[in-house]
Amino acid sequence: QDHSFRFQSSDPSGNPNFVLQQGWAADVAEKSGGRIAIDLLPVESIVAHNETQDAIATGILDGHVTDLSYFSGRDPAFGLMGNPVGAWSDPEQMLDFVENGGGAELLNQIMNPYGLQFIGATTPGLEALVSAVPLNGVDDLAGVKIRAPEGLVQSVFAAAGASPVNLPGSEVFTSLDKKVIDAADYSVFSTNQAQGLNEVAPHPVYPGFHSMPLVEISMNKEKWDALPEDLQQVMTQSVRDFARVQVAALAEADAAAVAEAEAGGTITVHDWSDEERTKFRGIAMGEWEKVAGQSPAAQQVYDALTAYLTEKGLVQ
Amino acid sequence: MMDASEAIPREEHEAVPQSGRLGRVIDRLAIIPALGLVVAMLILIQEVVLRYVFGRPTNWAHETTVFLCAISFVYGGLLCTARDRHIRVVLVYDLLPPAARRVADILISAICGLSSGAFAWAAWQMVKRSAWRPDGSFHLETSGSAWNPAYPGMLKVLLMVALAIMALQFAILTVNYARGHKGAR
Amino acid sequence: MEIFGSLQSLGIEAGTGLLFALLLLLLLTGIPLAFVTLLVTLIFALGWFGPNVVPLITSRVYTFVSSFVFVSVPMFVLMAAILDRSGIARDLFEAMRLVGGRIRGGVAVQTIFVAVILAAMSGIIGGEVVLLGLIALPQMLAQGYDRKLAIGVVCAGGSLGTMVPPSIVLIIYGLTANVSIGDLFTAAFVPGFMLALLYVAYVLIRAWLTPGDVPPAVTARVPRDEKLRLLKGLFLPILVVIMVLGSIYGGIASVTEASAVGVAGVLISTVIRGEFTWGLLRGAAMQTLQTVGMIVWIGIGASALVGVFNLMGGINFVSELITGISDNPTIIILFMMAILFVLGMFLDWVGIALLTMPIFVPIIVSLGYDPVWFGVLFAMNMQVSFLSPPFGPAAFYLKSVTPPDISLGEIFRALLPFIGLQILAVGLLILFPALAIY
Ligand code: NA
Ligand code: NA
Repeated sequence: QDHSFRFQSSDPSGNPNFVLQQGWAADVAEKSGGRIAIDLLPVESIVAHNETQDAIATGILDGHVTDLSYFSGRDPAFGLMGNPVGAWSDPEQMLDFVENGGGAELLNQIMNPYGLQFIGATTPGLEALVSAVPLNGVDDLAGVKIRAPEGLVQSVFAAAGASPVNLPGSEVFTSLDKKVIDAADYSVFSTNQAQGLNEVAPHPVYPGFHSMPLVEISMNKEKWDALPEDLQQVMTQSVRDFARVQVAALAEADAAAVAEAEAGGTITVHDWSDEERTKFRGIAMGEWEKVAGQSPAAQQVYDALTAYLTEKGLVQ
Repeated sequence: MMDASEAIPREEHEAVPQSGRLGRVIDRLAIIPALGLVVAMLILIQEVVLRYVFGRPTNWAHETTVFLCAISFVYGGLLCTARDRHIRVVLVYDLLPPAARRVADILISAICGLSSGAFAWAAWQMVKRSAWRPDGSFHLETSGSAWNPAYPGMLKVLLMVALAIMALQFAILTVNYARGHKGAR
Repeated sequence: MEIFGSLQSLGIEAGTGLLFALLLLLLLTGIPLAFVTLLVTLIFALGWFGPNVVPLITSRVYTFVSSFVFVSVPMFVLMAAILDRSGIARDLFEAMRLVGGRIRGGVAVQTIFVAVILAAMSGIIGGEVVLLGLIALPQMLAQGYDRKLAIGVVCAGGSLGTMVPPSIVLIIYGLTANVSIGDLFTAAFVPGFMLALLYVAYVLIRAWLTPGDVPPAVTARVPRDEKLRLLKGLFLPILVVIMVLGSIYGGIASVTEASAVGVAGVLISTVIRGEFTWGLLRGAAMQTLQTVGMIVWIGIGASALVGVFNLMGGINFVSELITGISDNPTIIILFMMAILFVLGMFLDWVGIALLTMPIFVPIIVSLGYDPVWFGVLFAMNMQVSFLSPPFGPAAFYLKSVTPPDISLGEIFRALLPFIGLQILAVGLLILFPALAIY
C-alpha cells in the first residue's frame, strides 16, 4: 500500500459501532485497491476521546472516528453541529444536510484552521432515552433527575423542566440501579439493552427524541492534501456508504433489541406522540440560539442549520 | 471517651534541606490544594443534599470536585519531590557506600529534572492549542458542559507550570547534592 | 546517526523486551517509581518516534488526573488520615479484640471482614489499602501479629475493592465488551467472597500451624463495665459504615459521592468524641495531599507508557502473540492468563485493560465462552496484578504510609502467599465457571 493511516475511534472494541467501523476500514482498503490501509484503534488506546483533535493536528494520530460534540469546549460550533437536539427525526435528514446542504463545506471551513480535514459524517441513529420512570411527554420530565453529560443536551433538558445531573459514563449504571438518578442520556437502544441499563431502568423511550450525534470521520489536513484526488474520492465515497451501512445495521439491531425487551415482559417501551416531539423540539430550538451567540462559528452553524431546516419544510 | 489532648500526635513531614528555598515555598503553599480536598468533600456533600433532599442538583459540583482533586494530584507530585517522598526501590541504593550514594543522588535528580523539563515543554505544546484559537485569539478550552467552565484549559496551564517548577526543583536538588549536602536517606 | 526514531529498527518484539528490561533496570537504580515509568515512556517516545510524540505523554497525564473515578481515592485517604489522628481506630480494634480475640487470629479475620465492607463502599483500590495501612496495620502489630501476616492481610484485603461490587474494573470491562454491568456485578459476588474466604482460611491455618505469628487468644474474663466501655468503640465506626453503605444502596449518593459521605462521617465522629481541632483537619489534609501525590504519580507513568506502547503497535503485537498459539481453547485461556500475569508485573490495571481487553474479548466470544465469566476472571487477574512485584500498586500504596523500617522488599515477600491464594482463585474460576455464572 502507498498510504498507511492510524485512526482512533471513540468507541470501545466490543461495541457494535466499533465493529462496523472496522468494516469501513476494510472497505477503504478494498475501494482503493489496497493503496490505503487504515489501522483502527479503540477509544483511549493512544489518547483520551476528547484529545484526539490535538493528536491528529500534531501528527500523533492520522485521523479519528468520533462524536463531533466532544470538541464543543474548543468551539461551541462543534457542539451545535454535533448534536443539535431536536433537529433531526431521521438520520437521512442529517446526512443530506452534511452531504448536500453545505454542512461539510461549513465544517471544513471551521476545522481546517485546527489542522483537520472533515471527510464525512455518520451516526448511530436516534438514541433511546434510558428511564426508570414512565415518560410519555414533556410534562413528565418535570423534576426528573436525568444524567446529561453534554452542554446542549443538558441545557435543553433543564429548559424542559428536568433536573440534569452531570455524571460520567462509568457511574451511570450504579446510579440508575440505586435510583440516584431517574433517567439517562446514554446510547442507542441496542447498546443500552446489551449493557443492562434497561433492566434497571425499565421505561426506555424509543425512538428517542433528545439526541442523534453526528459522528465525524476526519484526518490530518496535510496528509489529506498529500493524497491524490482519486484516493480522496475513495475516502469520501467510503464514508458515505459506511453511514448507510451503520444506520441500517443499528436500526436492525435496535428493532431486534426492542422485540427482545418487549418479549421479556419487564420492560415497557414508551413512544412519544408527534405532538410531544414537536413541543420538545420547540424548547430545544430556543437553546440553539443561545449557543449561536457564543462564537462566530456557532452563529454560522446556526444560520446554515435553520436555513436548511426551513428550506426542507422541517420547521415552520 | 478520651479528651483532645490524648489524640495521637503524628510526625509531620517537611521539605528536605537540599530542596532549598523553592522546596520550602512548595511546602508552605501546599496547604492550599490540601484544603482544596476538604472543600471538594464539602461540595460533594452539598450536591448530595441538594439533589436528594431538595431535588435540585447543581450543574457545577462534579466538575469543580474533579478540578480540585486534579490540582491536588498534580501538586501532590510536586510536594513529594520537594519532600523527597516519592516511592523508590532502594534495594541497590542501600548497599552503596556514602560517596556512591551521593553520586546516585546527583544523577537521579538530574535525570528526573531533565525528563520533567521535557514534559514541561510537551505540556506547552498542549497549552498552545488549548489556550489560543487557530486565529490567535485567546480562549481557554472549556469543558463543553452546560455550565462550560474553563477548567480543562486552566488545568493544562497548571500542569505545565507544575512540571516546569518540578524541573527547577530537581535542578536545585542536583546542585545541592553536588555541593555535598548530605543525602536524605 | 539520527537518534530520534532509531529504536524503531528493533522491531516490536525486541522493542517490547527492551522496554520491560529498561523498566526493571531503572527501577533498581533508586529513581522514584513515578519517574521510572515516565522516563521509559519518554525514552521510547523519542527513540521510537521523535519529539512530536512527547505531547502524547502530557495529554495522558492531563486525562489521568482529571478522571472522575479517582475522586474517591483522596476521599478514602482523607478518611484514613482523620481516623489515624483520632482515637477511633484504636478503640475500634480494642473492641474487635474483645469480640474476636477469643479465636486465635480473630482480629486479622475481622480486618478482612472490614476490608470487604470497605470494598463494598468503593469501586477502585488505593484508598482502602492506605486506610487499612494507617489504621489496621499498627493495631495488629501492637496486638502482636507477625509483621508479614499483618502486611499481607492489609494489602490483599485492601485490594478487594475492584473484586467486590461496585467495581470500576468491571464497569470498564462491561463498556468494552458490551455486556451487562448488572450481570457482571452479580457474577463477581461469589468469586469476590470466595477470595476473601481464602484469605480468612489462610489466616486461621497460619494461626494453627505457626502459633507464634498471632497473639494468644484472650482468655481472661473482662468485667462488664470494661466490656461496655470497649463496645462503645464500635458504635461510631458502625454508624459511619451505615451512613456510607446506606447512601449508596439507599439511592442517596453515587459511589464516588459516598466516599465524601464517609469523610463527613468520620469528621463528625471526631467532633462527637471531642477530638476535633483545626490542627487535626489541617494535618490530615496535608497528609492526604502527600499520599495522593505518591499514589497518583505512580499511575500517571503507567498510563502514559501504555499510550506510547499502543502507538508502537502494542495492540497488534499482543494479538499476534495469541493467534495461532493453539486450537485448544483451554490453552488459549491459560496463555491469556499468562499474558495478564506478566503485564500485571509491570503495568497498572487501567493500562492492562486498555491494552488487552480490545484483543481478548472478541477471541473469548468467538471461542464460545461467556464474556461475563471472562470479565470476572479478568477482575480476578487484576487482583494478582495489584500485589505482584516488581510493580505492585498495593505494595506501593502501603509503603506510602508505613514507617521507613518496613521496606518494599519485606512487603513484597509478605505478599507472596497471598498472590498464591489469588492464583488459586483464578484457577478455581477457570475450573468451575459456575462460581461466576450460576
Ligand atoms: Na467495590
Ligand atoms: Na503487579
